Amino acid sequence: MEPDHPTASWEALQDGNVFYRRHQVYSISGKLPDLGDFFVAGCRYGGPIALMRDTTKMVALGRATAAFSKTQIQIYSPAGEGLLLFSVWDQGKIIKFGWTFDERLAVLNEEGAYRLYDLQGDYQQYSLGTEASELGILDARIHEAGLVALTESLTLLEVKGWEGAKPLTLANPGLTQPPHSWAVIPPDLTISRHVEVLLSTETTVYSVDNLETTDQRLSRGPFTHLAPSPNGKSLALLTFSRTLWVVSADFQRSLADFDTSDVIGVEGDVRQVEWCGNDAVLITWDTTAVLVGPFGDTLQYFYTGPTFAITESDGVRVLGPDACDFIQKVPVSSVSVFRPGSTSPSAILYDAWDHFTRRSPKADESIRSIRPDLAAAVDECIDAAGREWEPYWQRRLLNAAKFGKAFLDLYNATDYVNMGQVLKVLNAVRFYEIGIPITYAQYTQLSPAQLISRLTARNLHLLALRISEFLSLPSSAVLKHWACAKILKSRPSASASEPALDEDAICGSIVEKFEKVGGSGVSYAEIARKAWEVGRTDLATKLLDHEPKASDQVPLLLNMKEDRLALDKAVESGDTDLVYHVLLHLQRRLTLGSFFRLIEEGGAHLALASKLLQVYAREQNREMLRDFYYSDDRRVESAVLCLDEAVSSVDMTAKINSVKAAQKFFSEDKERGFEAKMMDESARLLQSQQQLEKEADGKISFFALSVNETIRVLLINGMAKRADKAKNDFKVPDKRFWYTKLHALTEIRDFESLDTFARSRRSPIGYTPFVRHLIEKGHHKEAASYVPRCDAAKRVDLYVECNEWRMAGKECKERGDKAKLE
Amino acid sequence: MAAASTSSTADDQTSRPSHDTDTPLDISVLKEIARKGLVDALNAVNGAKTLVLDPSLAGPLGLVTEVSLLKHHGVDKMFWLEPGPLSATTTNIVYLCRPMIKWIKIVADQIKRHGRESQKHNYTLLLVPRTSTLVSRILEEEGVLGDVTISSYNLQFIPLAEDVLSLENDWAFKEIWVDGDETVIFNSMQALLSLQKLYGLFPRIVGKGDYASKLANLLTRYNQGQGTTAAGKVSSEKLDSLVILDRRVDMITPLLTQLTYAGLMDELIGITNSHMEIPISLLNASTAPPAASGPSTSPSTGTSVPVSLSKEKKKKHHLTTATDPLLSELQDLNFSAVGKKLNSVARRLDEDYKLRHQATTVSQLRDFVGKLGGLQSEHQSLRLHTGLSELLVPQTRTEEFNKSLEIQQNLLASYDVNNQISAIEDLISQGADMQVVVRLLCLASITAGGIKGKTLENIKRELLQAYGYNYLPLLLSLAAPPLAALLPNPLPPTAPPALTASKYPFTALRKSLRLLIEDNEIEELENDISYVYSGWAPISVRLVQCVAQKGGVLSNPAEKEKKGGEDGDSKKGKEHSVGRAQAHPIIGWKGFEDVVASIPGETVDLVQSLPSSVEGGVPALSSLMLPREQSTTTVVFFLGGCTYTEIAALRWVGRQNKGQKGGGKKKLTEFNKFMQTEIARLKEENPDLPHKERFKQVVDNWNKKKEKDKA
Repeated sequence: MEPDHPTASWEALQDGNVFYRRHQVYSISGKLPDLGDFFVAGCRYGGPIALMRDTTKMVALGRATAAFSKTQIQIYSPAGEGLLLFSVWDQGKIIKFGWTFDERLAVLNEEGAYRLYDLQGDYQQYSLGTEASELGILDARIHEAGLVALTESLTLLEVKGWEGAKPLTLANPGLTQPPHSWAVIPPDLTISRHVEVLLSTETTVYSVDNLETTDQRLSRGPFTHLAPSPNGKSLALLTFSRTLWVVSADFQRSLADFDTSDVIGVEGDVRQVEWCGNDAVLITWDTTAVLVGPFGDTLQYFYTGPTFAITESDGVRVLGPDACDFIQKVPVSSVSVFRPGSTSPSAILYDAWDHFTRRSPKADESIRSIRPDLAAAVDECIDAAGREWEPYWQRRLLNAAKFGKAFLDLYNATDYVNMGQVLKVLNAVRFYEIGIPITYAQYTQLSPAQLISRLTARNLHLLALRISEFLSLPSSAVLKHWACAKILKSRPSASASEPALDEDAICGSIVEKFEKVGGSGVSYAEIARKAWEVGRTDLATKLLDHEPKASDQVPLLLNMKEDRLALDKAVESGDTDLVYHVLLHLQRRLTLGSFFRLIEEGGAHLALASKLLQVYAREQNREMLRDFYYSDDRRVESAVLCLDEAVSSVDMTAKINSVKAAQKFFSEDKERGFEAKMMDESARLLQSQQQLEKEADGKISFFALSVNETIRVLLINGMAKRADKAKNDFKVPDKRFWYTKLHALTEIRDFESLDTFARSRRSPIGYTPFVRHLIEKGHHKEAASYVPRCDAAKRVDLYVECNEWRMAGKECKERGDKAKLE
Repeated sequence: MAAASTSSTADDQTSRPSHDTDTPLDISVLKEIARKGLVDALNAVNGAKTLVLDPSLAGPLGLVTEVSLLKHHGVDKMFWLEPGPLSATTTNIVYLCRPMIKWIKIVADQIKRHGRESQKHNYTLLLVPRTSTLVSRILEEEGVLGDVTISSYNLQFIPLAEDVLSLENDWAFKEIWVDGDETVIFNSMQALLSLQKLYGLFPRIVGKGDYASKLANLLTRYNQGQGTTAAGKVSSEKLDSLVILDRRVDMITPLLTQLTYAGLMDELIGITNSHMEIPISLLNASTAPPAASGPSTSPSTGTSVPVSLSKEKKKKHHLTTATDPLLSELQDLNFSAVGKKLNSVARRLDEDYKLRHQATTVSQLRDFVGKLGGLQSEHQSLRLHTGLSELLVPQTRTEEFNKSLEIQQNLLASYDVNNQISAIEDLISQGADMQVVVRLLCLASITAGGIKGKTLENIKRELLQAYGYNYLPLLLSLAAPPLAALLPNPLPPTAPPALTASKYPFTALRKSLRLLIEDNEIEELENDISYVYSGWAPISVRLVQCVAQKGGVLSNPAEKEKKGGEDGDSKKGKEHSVGRAQAHPIIGWKGFEDVVASIPGETVDLVQSLPSSVEGGVPALSSLMLPREQSTTTVVFFLGGCTYTEIAALRWVGRQNKGQKGGGKKKLTEFNKFMQTEIARLKEENPDLPHKERFKQVVDNWNKKKEKDKA
């Protein structure tokens, strides 16, 4: 059976030039409670509604009593499915609730605290600050990107965004009594790009922003209803005398006046004044809704009970007791195609296709007639397809477009393909079980990614995943949400006896899914963090094992106080910076003792950490390093540390003490006897040097010289006796002593002493070094005198080196070496 | 070589890389990257700025950029990062340093000082190569964290020559083996990763040594981590493998005196960041017009040079083959051959100059004038190198030098070890240079598997007395497990197992890797890598040969013709297939597993496959086995520095592989040499001391540069 023709739901306004249509999206009879008894907040873009009982209304006690005993908020999808039911907090009356752009419910209480609930009932809580909580909140307006609260002292507070930003105080309007009604124009719609608050007081309206209050000097007030249009350019005001007045946002141009008391058959108070798109206003009473067009012409709709209307950017959604309707101005493309008697190219194209399917030759004739406009006609058909709710008509329109496309030589089919995809998605989410009645226009505004995140927020992960794959969007966000939800859902319940198994299973299924879908962009660390937040440390740890990036693992492990594991992972990663991160973090948090123990117990595996700690501490925290070595009985390192200090200390006594301390450390280790002995010598040397300096009245500096140097300096300064004593004290071998003395005496050119020294006894180093050294220093003549004492075989060459050719010749002659003589 | 007929200097340069004409890896791009990184980092700070520079970075930075570039990007003034107040005129102050605690403390101190003097500045701290928690913690402890913006400048590989890259991290050896600070390994990994980003994945990673295996594992782990995100990753076409050797695997080579030209210059004069200090007269003379003085009149200071060397004003000279046509010919020669080479070059130059007399026609004259520029620059560099070698010669004639050479050779041959040790003792009493002595001692300990306990104690005592007791920590760290370079024999029963495990099987290796070549002619022949040490083949390079040129390990490829198939029969039937030392596909350690396993430290042999390829190793391996026409490059990475001799030896191996083109398999292996620290030796002996000295040189270097730029 062919569905109703699209025009069946059209109703003409303005002498048949403009059409409005009411489309019943869902039939929801009996699914929603009586909206008259509730405060309601609706979310745009086909979002859900939230209901809280209006405590001023009487309720017939009955079976449902339990549900009303506490402050509860119920959330229903537009298709009437209950999504969530939760109790809000006990203390503090709830002032207002409303929806954010990302479909979270913001709930504000009189103490200035507000919570943001997602569709799973999880929330974040923020506050408007102490001042607000002392004053108390009287009322608030919540828009998609923030809220404006009216305090008991009639001042205004604004919160931008939903990240718990600090509230800003707006200009004080100077009210004496609460406004009759008020509204907020969101910042993205105003000229100033700041939020603008409209307060109806007495007969006029104040518009307030963060700088100033402007009195609009009106006389028609007070107003009972005040509604800005979706684009923020116009305002709809309802006076006490029931006159609807539509005016531009700056109150300069009056757009329409309509006396609602003219409407026949309405009774009681006006429930709502809502915009339908940007150019019509819907006024609702308990059982009636009247759509007022721009020129005061009206359409009237009837309901069986109280309704709730939600303004959308391209229409208005009305939830009644029986149905969820969408009322909108018929889009241009649809009018162009379907309007009876339309002669637009798109209408003719559609007609031609219709003929074609019926094998009528008129098809060709029609196509010919619109040949120049065919491309535009195709585009319009595609657009019109997007505006239809019924897949039947969508298909027909797309077919018509395809048909027209075939007659075009060059046509970019991207739009056509995209529209096909989008419609598939839209139809899927409009399905009543999903319940997101979003129009094409809204979809383009909302962005596909947002739509997907709305689906994941409803735990519709499979659909979200399919859609994101279908639209080739990254699926990582979906997977991440899925994993988090899975962790939450699988809260330890029946399997309490085998928790480990349970954790393994969850972890396994998550990993398996990720690998299968190829969500490489998903960070296991983020999911693990979630698991940890809900107190499932084991699971978190297991998940973290799959995180390839150690730099993501480690911070969480630290937060989880899994110190050892964090350190292990950091060391494994080989990233020294990460190791430092852990070490420095732990050093601050743990006591020194347990910190050291942690590192020491790691043994060889944590060697890197231990080494790095030493590197750091050597430069920055020697005290700690000392403790570290001490606690681990590392005597050698302790001693080296002492020596290090000895090198850097200038003061003699301090230096000697450091060396002695080192000596003590070495002596405690029986393996280090040699080192201890050396340090003992070193200390003795330093002390004797100190003594020497004292004797020399500080004219000669000895301190911290080596043994050789000390002897050299002594000799240079003519203290030969002292030098001999030093030689004996430090058991300097003869050879070394002779070389040192040779060098020293040559240096001061004391050749006489050198000669005596050489003759003092038989040289343990021979006399060749004498010759060579003297030559090297340029004392050829003196060198020659030692040649006779050298090995006979070498003498000739040595003479030559001394430039003593004659002596060399003589030597040769003596030895009868003819060959050398040459 | 048709194009090369015009023998200008430009051709001289390219003639060296001509042995890798096929597809040498273009590594100059790395320099561009480093330069761009610096510019970006500087531009991130708006307006004029004062740059405060970590002196140890000046050398490396000097290799990638020049002062004018910095000026161009808003650097107003430059200061050294050193203790004391900093007076800056600009509001922006940029600190550029390595994340070392001592630098950070100076930075904090200066900021606090400004705070007290109520000067307002914006501080930016650029850390090389990456930011660090440690730094922010220290800044926090010093109470200035809030004032500083911390970011990083990722300076990685710097090309030193067209086949040598370096991370220029002077402290690498000390940090790893003395402090146990593995930051260097992580940074190396990152640098290798970016190398892979440029040239593709290393198909195979082979390595030896505990830290080398750590590095290899890190590298593969991070590859896997990134594999999924960087979809475009492919196995490299140009690289065939990465050979990672950590310095611990071959401690012997750096302990020996390097005997190539570049090596000796490094030993005796010192090369830092490719710059060396040489007497200014040498450089000035070289800039003088060549007509003024012939090569014969170059400064013949003779024996008095060493004395004047210390007095004469010195100037930094950048050693690079780009401007110095002779260097590429000379640097890798054994020093004994340098004189001959210089002589022949001088002759050739002379001939070339004489051509002008034969130029009779105008066109011949024009030809000659065209060549003149090349001749002149060649002339200049000839003069420089003659002067340099004249500087070196007297130093190689000293008793100390020759004695230590003799001891080295004897120790390598395990000839009369006790006598060698008393010879070392004699050196101590003669007051020889402390480094020479410690190097010899370590060499003795490693080759002989330790020194007798009593003797060792005695000699240690001598050492401490002669050079000061403050060297005790040095001796201790040399004996500590990761280094284990100075040990008693037998080890005390209480020694930790790490020490016992680190014992080096020197005598066995000497045989199996053919380390010591007894033939005396080899230095002239250059037919084996052993020429660089006059008869000793560096273990490290032999190990590389084990991977990439298996035949070269077993027999001397150049003597192959004479001896036929008889040598190399020590190895299982391999000699027929690998008769000549030709290049072959990289198949890991195959054939040398036993030898390699006998060296302490872990052995790595990993095949890096793409995440997409099925079942990892097998297909990748088989594709590697296919003979490929294209020549590929083997990357050798020394963790902890390498010596000039090793570079020279590797270049020789590379040439050899190329030369054997006629063999059955066409795949050629060209060696690139990556050195991490240029001068490993010094640090080895002296973990604590020599930096200050080096430091000064660098400061000089940059000061000079600044002066030049101002002028």
